Amino acid sequence: MSDVIVANNLTLAYQNGEDIIKDATFSIQRGDFVFITGLSGSGKSTLLKSIYGNLKPKNGSLKVGGLDMSNIFKPQLQQLRTNLGIVFQDYKLINEWTVEENVVLPLMIAGYSKEIQATQARRLLHHVKLSGKESKYPLELSGGEQQRVGVARALSKNPLMILADEPTGNLDEYSSNVIWDLMENACDQLKTTIVVVTHKIPNIFNIPYRHFMIENKAIYEVH
Amino acid sequence: MKFIKRHLSIIFPLMAILLGLEFFIAFDRTTKQYEKSLQDEYSMLIVSKDEMSIDDITAWDKHIIKIEDINKSEIIGKINQAMEVNSTTDAKIKSAIPNFYAAKIDKYLDTTELQKIKTNLLKNPQISRVETFDSVYKSNYGLFSFIKFSFRTFIIFMSIIGFFLIIKQMEVWNYIHAQRMRVMEIFGAPLLFRSKVLIRVAIIDAIIASFITSFVFWYLQYIVIANGNITILDENIGSVFSVGDIFILLFTSLFIALTAVLIVVMNIKEE
Repeated sequence: MSDVIVANNLTLAYQNGEDIIKDATFSIQRGDFVFITGLSGSGKSTLLKSIYGNLKPKNGSLKVGGLDMSNIFKPQLQQLRTNLGIVFQDYKLINEWTVEENVVLPLMIAGYSKEIQATQARRLLHHVKLSGKESKYPLELSGGEQQRVGVARALSKNPLMILADEPTGNLDEYSSNVIWDLMENACDQLKTTIVVVTHKIPNIFNIPYRHFMIENKAIYEVH
Repeated sequence: MKFIKRHLSIIFPLMAILLGLEFFIAFDRTTKQYEKSLQDEYSMLIVSKDEMSIDDITAWDKHIIKIEDINKSEIIGKINQAMEVNSTTDAKIKSAIPNFYAAKIDKYLDTTELQKIKTNLLKNPQISRVETFDSVYKSNYGLFSFIKFSFRTFIIFMSIIGFFLIIKQMEVWNYIHAQRMRVMEIFGAPLLFRSKVLIRVAIIDAIIASFITSFVFWYLQYIVIANGNITILDENIGSVFSVGDIFILLFTSLFIALTAVLIVVMNIKEE
């Protein structure tokens, strides 16, 4: 399997210059399901941010999809991001848009037709058990439902990689299970690379996965 | 209601600026015409011992563009009638009376500049007297300058208020659109895609604002002024508004609105 993410002696720092991850070396291959765990403030979310180009490495190198994240140009970054699905703990949905419009945002950006957008939205909302809520607005949904919309949005363009930051952090068991099932399926059937930052790996997980832990600014593979 | 409010909040400040601009253009055009008529009506009197040509006079001041000889024989005729003089006296009067010229100037000048012309002309030993008719000219010029100054001040204030309202609207835009644009950026949307909604609003509102302003001026020209017997504007009615102004207003309006959008979009940074 080809490398999707390659980090060599990667150092990430806060805006004030203080290192949060130091000299990390790891690689993630296509189709990997990776959990990244660690204590609060250990740098899990920072690592995720650097993978989608929101934070440049301080030292060392980080390559995502073959692109050097230290010297990436804006158009390249935009292109890379259109191939990523990102899930946030705080959902980051567009509140003035309907559920359906939120789900198909990556398809809109890619210029897919309205028909394809509508078909894909129906299919995904069925998968996340939100059929019939297409025309609702995010603020009319519960937290669990909003997160499922977020996951549907991340999956809508069949991305090469999904990055999820605490996707089930504050959710009930039902919503958490729906989300894990979807991610397992995407990884297993579509060979989508999935990187999940979480403080707790689910008890029951049906596919093989890798587990990285961040401790004392270093990244270890523990599983 | 929200939709109307959202559009009016940019249409109003744009209109304030456009009204200011169009008032400025219209005022400038009409006052130029008025200045021209004042200038045409005005002439200064030059008295010289010998006959002079226009070149003799412009050599001393370039503002003089035309001179008209005031007929001596008419003056002499009147004197003869009054005094019943004989032919010898008539010849003496003829040689004693100087030459009178009415001089036109090239543009509408203030009284200080008229005095400068007078000083320059009096340097010529042939010219014995120059009458600038300052008092009449001064009252016309003073009133005219005061109106011009008041109007321009009003226009500047109106435009400043318009700009402040646009800055306020930019803050509102930032508040309303920042979250959506940030999410779009995370998913790789290019700048044009992220700002599509704002650009559409800006273009529509800019067009509406420029057409309303054009209509206001069209109405002023063809209804209010045409029926209003406003002396200063009666002769210059066509210079209040012209079709070309619609394009000036449209271009200005689009430029301001799109610049505001661009500033807002560029200032929204990813979290």
